[in-house]
Amino acid sequence: MQNFLQILVSGISVGMIYGVIAFGYQLTFATSKTLNFGQGEALTLGALVGFSTVGFLAGLSLGPAAAYIIALPIVFAFGLAQGSVVEWLGVRQAMKTKSEAGWIMATIALGIIFKNLAENIWGKDPLKFPSPLSENPLTIGGVNIRPMEIAIVLGALAMMLAVEAFNRRSIYGKAVVATANDRDAAGLMGINTPLVITFSYALSSLSAALAGVLVAPITLTGANMGAALGLKAFAVAIIGGLSSGFGVVVGGLILGITESLTGFYFETGYKDVPGLILLLLVLSFKPAGLFGKPAIKKV
Amino acid sequence: MIKTRWAAAAAISALMIGAASAQQPIKIGLSGPFTGGSAAMGVSMRDGVKLAAQEINKAGGVLGRPILLVERDDEAKNELGVQIAQELINKEQVVATVGYINTGVALASQRFYQEAEIPVMNNVATGTLVTRQFAGPEHKANYIFRNSANDTIQSAMIADAVKKAGYTKPAIIADSTNYGQLGRADLEKALGERGLKPVAVEKFNIGDTDMTAQALRAKDAGADVVLTYAIGPELAQTVNAVVKLGWKVPVMGSWTLSMASFIDSAGANGEGVMMPQTFIQLPTTPKRKAFIEAYQTTYKVDRIPSPVSAAQGYDSMLLLAAAINQAKSTDGPKIRAALENLTTKIEGVVTTYDKPFSATDHEAITANIPVLGTVKGGRVIPANPADLEGDGALRVKPKS
Repeated sequence: MQNFLQILVSGISVGMIYGVIAFGYQLTFATSKTLNFGQGEALTLGALVGFSTVGFLAGLSLGPAAAYIIALPIVFAFGLAQGSVVEWLGVRQAMKTKSEAGWIMATIALGIIFKNLAENIWGKDPLKFPSPLSENPLTIGGVNIRPMEIAIVLGALAMMLAVEAFNRRSIYGKAVVATANDRDAAGLMGINTPLVITFSYALSSLSAALAGVLVAPITLTGANMGAALGLKAFAVAIIGGLSSGFGVVVGGLILGITESLTGFYFETGYKDVPGLILLLLVLSFKPAGLFGKPAIKKV
Repeated sequence: MIKTRWAAAAAISALMIGAASAQQPIKIGLSGPFTGGSAAMGVSMRDGVKLAAQEINKAGGVLGRPILLVERDDEAKNELGVQIAQELINKEQVVATVGYINTGVALASQRFYQEAEIPVMNNVATGTLVTRQFAGPEHKANYIFRNSANDTIQSAMIADAVKKAGYTKPAIIADSTNYGQLGRADLEKALGERGLKPVAVEKFNIGDTDMTAQALRAKDAGADVVLTYAIGPELAQTVNAVVKLGWKVPVMGSWTLSMASFIDSAGANGEGVMMPQTFIQLPTTPKRKAFIEAYQTTYKVDRIPSPVSAAQGYDSMLLLAAAINQAKSTDGPKIRAALENLTTKIEGVVTTYDKPFSATDHEAITANIPVLGTVKGGRVIPANPADLEGDGALRVKPKS
């Protein structure tokens, strides 16, 4: 039982990371029916900007925890800016011309450019991100947890709840929801839908950047850290359903927990298999995802 | 007037070409990963090779000609290694190549040298197959040499250490690359020969961030020692997971546990792990002292990022230079013949090489040469200091 709980906890923390990145996919898909395929690179850049900021602040003789907290808003601001750039360069033009695939190519290309940029600035070597919290595990009910794993879960939940609250409570959030429901109608009601879409991209990169700084202290930072995570999160978004914010979080947890459980109870070499099988099953029987609303394409 | 000027210019340039050809450098290829996850090993190896080349050039070069290293970054990628091999052979026309950190890159690339009859000195790659890829009798001549401790030697050392310490339930955790899985197979075999069977064999992928499942399985199987075959960053994740579980268990593994990326990112969790080392950054012989000091002053570092790679890189250049001198030629087959029958004793950093190679044996390092190292205070030190004291300091290959 103790082992089961231990594995469950590590599955949840990995799953939350997947969930936050996938949440970013969901944000832009809701408003514009497009995705940023460079989401993994947005995560990389966020983590690396965080790394440099924390390093700079530590140079001013701040403790790692204080440096980390002060670095967060800078990372968020960077994420917002980076997302806006992606939308502006990669997506806007394709949407104007109603191109079906233009934005796919453009966001992939931008992802590659961002990765090369990261390699040139930070090098190709993995870097150790100073952990803001103690690296000694806590024992809760017989289960050992690293403080950073708890921070991942809390940080991810806080971010997603903040976005939900913003959408439900504020007038600007209502504009986002309106755009998501019917872009043309929202436009006719006087909502600046292009701005809403830019905003959703900015928020999407912010969530990736947050995932980056959350995961960096328990792994290593580097130009290649986002590739595998971005892909996993894409699978999560498909499993959970791209139209549901709640769905992608549950999807992330499902994937993270199945991976850990398979690794432990079956064989560590086959850890990734059940997630991929689940992906295929969902695509064949419920293509909109477990929690997604099937979209009716009017012709 | 203009005509004479042209003539003078032509005469001068002809003179310059003449002077250059008398001093034409001997080109040696240098291929290794200088960026990416294996970069610490690649860069240390390259710097070791460069140090040796500088010393040789200062002493008058080889055959009266200076050595010119043609460095290429293979990024630990097989396909890039192949491309570089072709470029070095056909465009740069190197007389020999030193390098290769990654077994996969070595196996993919050295085929081109074998075909072109150009010797390759593997100074870091450890895969057992590396020197046997073109071994006789199927191949008339083998152009692949090595001066690092191969996986057969390393896995036997690890298994011996397990046996000697009285552990009976080893668990193996290895990555899913060629390196990890070939090493795991060698390790299982070596354990089997000593009557030991691993109680758990676990695997992970490069880039995995959470090794809890692997560590917990090993713990659950009742393992009393964890054996690893992987590279730096993931090794750090592995010991982090072990420590997270509150599991006090000794960790041993292949020499990659000495990688700076492991030591730095595992921090306190990495203290006490043990691994085979051909060289430990300690001035136990005069040659080692001189090498460490030269490395530190030239590259302005205190801790060599990967001391093993640096020392083996340095020695590989010495071996090759001695062979070219003996062959009195830059002709590939003649250098190979000289390597297989080196008549001079070469005082290297790792060992003193006295006939290190023969026509059938292309391994300069034998099982008696490496010692067990351990991590303490962020550095690798001998696990048993007595190993490197007195007569033990210099361990040489036994005469066949």
